[in-house]
Amino acid sequence: MIEVLFFFEVVLAGLLAGTMYSLVALGFVLIYKASSTFNFAQGAMVFFAVLSFVGFMEQGIPFAAAFVLTVLLMIAVGFATERLVLKPLVNQSEDTLLMATIGLAFVLQGLAQAVWGVEVRRLDLGVGDFPIPWIADNLGLFVSALDVMAGVVAATLIVILALMFKYTKMGLGLRAVADDPGAAASIGIPLKNIMLLVWSAAGFVALVAGMMWGARAGVQFALVDLALKALPVLIIGGFSSIPGAIVGGLIIGVVEKVLEVYVGPSFGGGIEGWAPFVLAIFFLLWRPEGLFGEKIIRRV
Amino acid sequence: MTAPTDDILKLDQVAVVYNNVISALHDISLTVPRGKIVALLGGNGAGKSTTLKSISTMLAGERGRVTRGTITYDGTAVKDQQPSDMVGLGMVHVLEGRRCFGHLTVEENIIAGAYSRKLSKGEMQAELDRIYTYFKRLRERRKSQAGYTSGGEQQMTAVARAMMTKPKMLLLDEPSMGLAPQLVAEIFNIAQELNKKEGVSILLAEQNTNIALRNADYGYIIETGRVMLHGPARDLLNDDKIKEFYLGISKEGRKNFRDVLRKEAESHSELYHG
Repeated sequence: MIEVLFFFEVVLAGLLAGTMYSLVALGFVLIYKASSTFNFAQGAMVFFAVLSFVGFMEQGIPFAAAFVLTVLLMIAVGFATERLVLKPLVNQSEDTLLMATIGLAFVLQGLAQAVWGVEVRRLDLGVGDFPIPWIADNLGLFVSALDVMAGVVAATLIVILALMFKYTKMGLGLRAVADDPGAAASIGIPLKNIMLLVWSAAGFVALVAGMMWGARAGVQFALVDLALKALPVLIIGGFSSIPGAIVGGLIIGVVEKVLEVYVGPSFGGGIEGWAPFVLAIFFLLWRPEGLFGEKIIRRV
Repeated sequence: MTAPTDDILKLDQVAVVYNNVISALHDISLTVPRGKIVALLGGNGAGKSTTLKSISTMLAGERGRVTRGTITYDGTAVKDQQPSDMVGLGMVHVLEGRRCFGHLTVEENIIAGAYSRKLSKGEMQAELDRIYTYFKRLRERRKSQAGYTSGGEQQMTAVARAMMTKPKMLLLDEPSMGLAPQLVAEIFNIAQELNKKEGVSILLAEQNTNIALRNADYGYIIETGRVMLHGPARDLLNDDKIKEFYLGISKEGRKNFRDVLRKEAESHSELYHG
């Protein structure tokens, strides 16, 4: 009985951690859909956003105001990226854009540290990384309150974004651009506005993801690398699929926790870090477009 | 800016260069009278698509540039506009190869065409109903994913999507491409209907000379980026040279259109040689 409960605990912790991966992956998917580019700067955006947020708080700005200010800042970053990086590179190959996002990552990391300094910050969201007493008492499960909050926030954000894509005009425009930017332009969909929207949304998602990660692990440079965990999530879920990002994140979260606990000891532990990437390699062999990736539609 | 005339579109000695080095158009002058259908004919690489893209400003997206000449659309000089600006001015370009949004449904494709317009839910439905009266087949297929519909349905979707921008001028690039003859006829019938009932002027690029001229009021034949010949569609249709060249029936085998022209340059007083 204890064994089963413990397994549930591990899976639940995995699912909750997974929602955070989903959230970061969602940022990638947004940009990938609109510009067919893997945005290497997504991790840097997470770091930049949350560091700025903590920085604003340190200046004595209250929580809500600092949040709004950072959202505006991320929109400004999106605007500058469209103007200074994407616009001059319009019609260049996807590889060129990919390289440009690597450059953007360095700029954002450097800028954030130049302005706010390099020391690790604590971020207190008012919810601790402790088991929720009620669940512990009644169900015998130890579930972190922070995990639960992060899971709920991530899930809400994901649902809102998914509904936006499906049912709003902007969402339709974005999906059209994702399918064929040239054809979208030909019927008067302004690509520039769509890009702006996407980068702003990705910036917002980065901020939320950064706050969740930062509250757990501290606001520090390592957040940039944590975001790379989204890569196996995307390979499993598919680069262009929002449901894929969600399910992929959950799978990675659960698999890495379960493997860590049950298989890890025979490897000397610490397999959490690389197990998702191994899983991703198997997925690449079995289903390269991912579970939910949009298959390339070819009529013969 | 010049005053609006009865010509909705006028190209004057337009030259286009791609990537600063590849010269695609040398000297294209043509006119589309308001409310008429004009056919732009020529083989592969003649410059038909480039001509259309220079008009709709889709060229910039392909690193092309108008280096000489002027394009005047409905009294406005076409220069540095974006394609979305041109859509705002009432011009829409149906690109070669249909280019539907494959992962969207047929109806979502058509609705996307109204992106630049502010429509209420009721107005949108009315617009859709209006469009479906021309494209009856699409009403049945409206819930299907566009990428899985037939070539003809995709072509119709592309034209229907363009019509949702409420254009005054439609640029159609090879609507017949890869379609069975009955479907080609159906598409051209729809184009005729749109022209008559919606009053939309059409510039049509085609390789299928016969059907294009049957449906057009006037025709231009271009080759290697130059207008070789132009005239009323009926006259071109009855022209022996064109029959010979485009049907490939010639005693000396296939030859360059310019040679055909040179040989018979003196005759045909009713046609103007470019």
